[in-house]
Amino acid sequence: MINTYRVKLAFSSFFLMLNLVASAQTSKLQEDKELELVNFSSVKKVLQKDGLSESAFQKKQQVAILKKEQINLDHLRYNYPPEDEMWGFISEYWLVKNAPILGWDFEKPDYGLDYSFKTTLQKMGFVQKKFKILLINNPVMVRAALPGSNGDIILLMSVPFIRALDLSKLEISLLFLEDYLRLEAGYFKNNVGTQKLKNLAGTSFQGAKPDMSILEELLKNYTNQINSKGYTFQQQFETTKKMDVFLKSQPELWNVYFHLLQKLNNYFKANVQYKDYVKLYPSPEMQIKWISPDEKVL
Amino acid sequence: MILILLLSSFLSFAETTSTDEKVVGIFYMQPLFGHVHQSSVSTSASLTTIQCAHPVKVIESSKVSAYPEWAYVQVADYRGFILKQYLSEKKPDCFQGKYPKFFDNLNLDLSELYYWGRLYDQYIQGETRVQ
Repeated sequence: MINTYRVKLAFSSFFLMLNLVASAQTSKLQEDKELELVNFSSVKKVLQKDGLSESAFQKKQQVAILKKEQINLDHLRYNYPPEDEMWGFISEYWLVKNAPILGWDFEKPDYGLDYSFKTTLQKMGFVQKKFKILLINNPVMVRAALPGSNGDIILLMSVPFIRALDLSKLEISLLFLEDYLRLEAGYFKNNVGTQKLKNLAGTSFQGAKPDMSILEELLKNYTNQINSKGYTFQQQFETTKKMDVFLKSQPELWNVYFHLLQKLNNYFKANVQYKDYVKLYPSPEMQIKWISPDEKVL
Repeated sequence: MILILLLSSFLSFAETTSTDEKVVGIFYMQPLFGHVHQSSVSTSASLTTIQCAHPVKVIESSKVSAYPEWAYVQVADYRGFILKQYLSEKKPDCFQGKYPKFFDNLNLDLSELYYWGRLYDQYIQGETRVQ
């Protein structure tokens, strides 16, 4: 009995050994196969057949494009804004910096100026024009037009001035139209712009600190232009003549404009408080002469 | 007892579903800076100042009355009003987003941020069209 048990045990251990040897042989074969698979030359044909090498190449190209775009984007982050975007930004920055002096943050009556000025512009044929009106609570600074972003325009008007002259919304709109024509002619940008702005706008300052004196100079020029420098006789003459041409097609508006200039002229002569106005916008008296119809000598 | 429990749970469910508030959607601030106002008047107090591209949750509620040109919004913990014309459905291309390094160097202080927001409250805006 014990002998038969020993024989059975011997047989089973023999088969076990055989199995182990066989399994060892098969695992070796599998490793070989894996090695063959890693060998690119042997799978190259298969990959080409599946179009995998082509898609891998395309992916490589996409990654290269994305990397290039990322570098470009990083580069753009260090750019000065281009000139057209810079003007609108500086105008608002100047308004923010001078908010306490200009006193524009106050409760004001609704004069209906948006509708009135829009109608006046449309009558003159100016379409697709965006404007922002900012009423200020400052008796000294009467009016100004600043370049806005993307070609729009920021118009400033003093409420104490409106009240002092008892201006109607049509009269205010005509003053805005004058300001609009002056700005469109580029006088403001020519008077205020600097060489630094032209040189730096739209360029990159990567690897260096941005030259913020570009803004300081412009802010100073804005203040100087609006409070002291104003416009030349030639610029005023051209603007007034343009107003004359535009308003002649609307005689009722031309009459309002003519009477408005007379009103301004009389008021400024009688009130020394606004003596600087005629230096900044020379001058209602001259403007009347420039647009007055020639007297016929019989 | 079970009946009371069922009834109370049903009532609490009814309470949550019958709320009259509705989230209209997420919008983005368009101007450089803007204020979330306490009421739907541009001269009302500012609850907080947000900058361009800041997401704003617009809420519709029968309990809140506002002028039609104003949106009732939630920004962080604040609930207030923003002019609808300053909200955009799409994320806007902001100045500070396009030129971040230049903008950072301005080092705007708090009063400047406040005034920049107020500027957009005070603007009277218009656009001419083809008649």
